[in-house]
Amino acid sequence: MRQFLLFFRKEMLEMGRSFKWLWVPLVFLMLGIMQPVVTRFMPVILESSGNMPKGMTITIDPPSGMEVMAQTLGQFNSVGLMILVLSIMTLISGERQSGVSQMIFAKPVSYLSYAAAKWAIMLSLVTASFVLGYAGAWYYTVQMIGSVETAAALKAALLYMLWLWFTGSLTLFMSSLMNSAAGIAFVSLGAAILLSMASTWLPRYAYSPGFLPEISVQWLQASEKPTGDLGAAILCLMCMIFFFMIAAYQVKIRKSNV
Amino acid sequence: MDTINSSIPWSLIMPIIVLQLILAVVGLVSLYKAEAIRGPKWLWVIIILCGNILGSVAYFIIGRKDAS
Amino acid sequence: MTRTLLQVRDLSKRFREREVVKGITFSIAEGSCAALLGPNGAGKTTTIRMLTGLLQPSGGSIKLLINGSPTTDRRPYIGFLPQMPVFYPWMTGAEFLLYAGELAGLTNREAKRETGEWLEAVGLRDEGKRRIGGYSGGMKQRLGLAQALIHRPKLLILDEPVSALDPTGRKDVLTLLQRIRRETTVLFSTHVLHDAEEICDEILMIRSGAIALQGSLEHVRRTHSEPVIRLEVGEDEASRSWLTAACSKNFVIHSEVSGRRAKLRVENVEQASLALMADAASRRIMIRSLEAGRSTLEDLFLKVVQS
Repeated sequence: MRQFLLFFRKEMLEMGRSFKWLWVPLVFLMLGIMQPVVTRFMPVILESSGNMPKGMTITIDPPSGMEVMAQTLGQFNSVGLMILVLSIMTLISGERQSGVSQMIFAKPVSYLSYAAAKWAIMLSLVTASFVLGYAGAWYYTVQMIGSVETAAALKAALLYMLWLWFTGSLTLFMSSLMNSAAGIAFVSLGAAILLSMASTWLPRYAYSPGFLPEISVQWLQASEKPTGDLGAAILCLMCMIFFFMIAAYQVKIRKSNV
Repeated sequence: MDTINSSIPWSLIMPIIVLQLILAVVGLVSLYKAEAIRGPKWLWVIIILCGNILGSVAYFIIGRKDAS
Repeated sequence: MTRTLLQVRDLSKRFREREVVKGITFSIAEGSCAALLGPNGAGKTTTIRMLTGLLQPSGGSIKLLINGSPTTDRRPYIGFLPQMPVFYPWMTGAEFLLYAGELAGLTNREAKRETGEWLEAVGLRDEGKRRIGGYSGGMKQRLGLAQALIHRPKLLILDEPVSALDPTGRKDVLTLLQRIRRETTVLFSTHVLHDAEEICDEILMIRSGAIALQGSLEHVRRTHSEPVIRLEVGEDEASRSWLTAACSKNFVIHSEVSGRRAKLRVENVEQASLALMADAASRRIMIRSLEAGRSTLEDLFLKVVQS
């Protein structure tokens, strides 16, 4: 426990000094705010661009607050996911590659504490960034578009956060297996995108963490409430534990690279 | 244009501009203090100033060398 | 009486088909300073990484004896400085030492005290507050020594501690090592014989993964030095051909000629040098220099490395 805190404190310090604690949450906040703002001003922007034939009026049904929230999740799932993977991809591989790990692991340290601190910092960054971005989107949607149903929005947020945790765990898992940063990002992002795309082909009874973004969007939009969220959430948590165990083992058997 | 201007809730738009500014300033400060970066510094200054949030983000992800 | 601290038996490491370390056996006595000497690629770094626990051996055993009995976890008793140490560039020297000390099991207060002491000891008192990203190679090496010693280990293991340094940095680190070795048992690897001679009392020469020679410096020097004559003659053709001819005299056991210099191994130095001088004089050959002595450790090292 003491070593976990030591490792965690070091990770916090590193993320602070590399400005990650500032820019990752800020980017999520921007992503969250931009969607309602852009939606609100879309008719104005189209009108003022002025290449419409005279007399033609555009009639866009103003989207509901819930729809805009769903679109925000869509933003998080593309740009947000990429930012997330890129900001944590070298968390484990970096120290092994540079050689610092040689000095760390020559000391009587616990590999489990080491891996746990990596997971804890990842979860902290992901949670803080997402909560900030989602809260921003919520506030702006209420201010500019329309009302948001509290219970549904909270449930959607919870399920979506699980999905981000899953992707973060997947990235750390790849980081424990591979050395090249580009490779880690490519495989993690690829796998996450594939999983969430597969949710449209797979039958509903197959529980996959990839269903989570889909389910949370449905919580916001669909008239009938989705099913299978519990199964997907449980499977997602199990995958995270599995990734963590393998990564901790990898840290133990591959202490350094140089 | 008057109608557009009056219909824009500036109190809600301002934070976006402030956020962009913060990101750009933090990017520039980090660039100024950085000892090792990929590519020339002047290029990153241009990218951060002209690239909105994407410029700063690109600098933080690609430009900074964390391990030495 | 000296006690054994480290006992290594039949240690081997295989990477796929390649056997990098081929069953080496040695032991290190408490309080001694041993050099693992060998050319690049001899298996020094692999051996050291197995001793520190960073690498799993393919075979053999490593025992660290604390108060006479082997420990299950060696890491608390070992301090390790890797070859060309890397730190977190965003940390300051003092922060890294504190972190290393606490990871090694010191309490926060102990770690703080030791950090101050070791920064002072390695001459980084003022630089301790600066980020490591701006340190020179020599400063990093000294900081590396401090982090290896912060928990007062029984055995200090160093991988090529001075090879990559400039002459000043090298002198600093060697001076520090001289001081450290009075309190701690030291094992370090090097490919430079001179460094080993300067501070060690034991040497282990390894070549392509096997021990070629081992023992105390004195013992090795005594048993392996041979009577040798070093000759140097003039540039002209006659001198050179005389030198070649001299190599095939019956009292010469072994010879090496390079240009106008030759090194001759002989039975008896006095008789051989007299004979050579007489011969040269009768043929009116100028001998530029003739040195009669014994072969040095350097010769032995080269012989071991090249054979």
